[in-house]
Amino acid sequence: MMQEHEDPKFEQWLKDAARTTYHAPRTPPREEMWARIAAERQRKHVIELRPWMRWVVAAAAVLVIGIGIGRWTARQPSAAKVTPVAATETDSTQPDVVYQVAATQYLSRAEAFLTGFRADARADAHSARFASQARDLLTTTQLMLDSPAAKDPRMRSLLEDLELVLVQISQLGAAQDRHDADLITQGMNQSNVLPKLRSAIPAGPVPVRTEGAL
Amino acid sequence: MDESQLIARVRAGDSAAERALYDAHVDRVYRLAFRLAGDDALAQDFTQETFIRAFDRLGSFRGDAAFSTWLHTITTTVVLNGLRKVKRFRQREADIDDAHDIGVAQRHAEPDLKARLKQAIDDLPEGYRTVFLMHDVEGYTHEEIGVALGVETGTSKAQLSRARAKLRVALSDFAGEWVQ
Repeated sequence: MMQEHEDPKFEQWLKDAARTTYHAPRTPPREEMWARIAAERQRKHVIELRPWMRWVVAAAAVLVIGIGIGRWTARQPSAAKVTPVAATETDSTQPDVVYQVAATQYLSRAEAFLTGFRADARADAHSARFASQARDLLTTTQLMLDSPAAKDPRMRSLLEDLELVLVQISQLGAAQDRHDADLITQGMNQSNVLPKLRSAIPAGPVPVRTEGAL
Repeated sequence: MDESQLIARVRAGDSAAERALYDAHVDRVYRLAFRLAGDDALAQDFTQETFIRAFDRLGSFRGDAAFSTWLHTITTTVVLNGLRKVKRFRQREADIDDAHDIGVAQRHAEPDLKARLKQAIDDLPEGYRTVFLMHDVEGYTHEEIGVALGVETGTSKAQLSRARAKLRVALSDFAGEWVQ
């Protein structure tokens, strides 16, 4: 049974109008996109271990931990000292966890900013605001580079790429032409900053209680 | 070579097979991303992200549904999450601005059908808009939409019906175009 608002003539007209006028896609730049996908895949292959290598690494880690525990327990005169040592170890790992959480929040913010910049920089005359936000993020980036979060070589490399892009954006003037924004966007594409950022952000929400850690 | 053989080769690490699988599906993925995002740079980002995730997770593809259905599930997740981030970012920008140039009255005075249609579709709730674009504009079936969005087929049908009803009201000034 036809519902009260069903109207085949309207629906056909709407389909035709929307297909031809609403966000009508252009021809996809297949080669450009593939080049970036392949580069990202290649980067991951280099970093990721093959399954058999994971077993070797896991076995080696178990051995090292086993030897470590053996030597450590051998040195202990009594079991009474175990608790304080364990507590100290927990305390020493705590800052790293905090920095990791802060890094995740910062990376999410940077990703949203750069995604917005790519989408809006050419269309809008908001370069001064982008520049101001880039300066804020740049300060955080430099703090992150000096923090334990940058001990990880991948994170350090990503932070350095980000620093470069943010410096460029922060220098956009109020009267900048679109060419500058295009050059920055091209640089972002070539260095794959956004895909790297996205793969560095762990899935799932960051706990709210940790907001503002940096 | 059929698609299941191609997928098996991709799983075995064959990069030529990855490219063949990409070529077979990239146009539809990009079209959907562009329809939803309305921006070439974002559509390219979302398309790349979709394929990177798909290749990374191909091991979890069991073949219960068609590969294209599985891929479009990833596409809609990537695009909708990405657009929410962009929307939040733009909202913060608008909050900073006085935003007096985003006047509703000005938009409604726009006599051009193309602009009014765009505004009407943009104003739809996210679920209605997604279903409308996937079904009426890109030609997905309700079954495909249901799987991609993780909703019942009936929900997809109901959302499409409501989307059309809202658009009909929003575009009533142009009734002469379809009542002939």
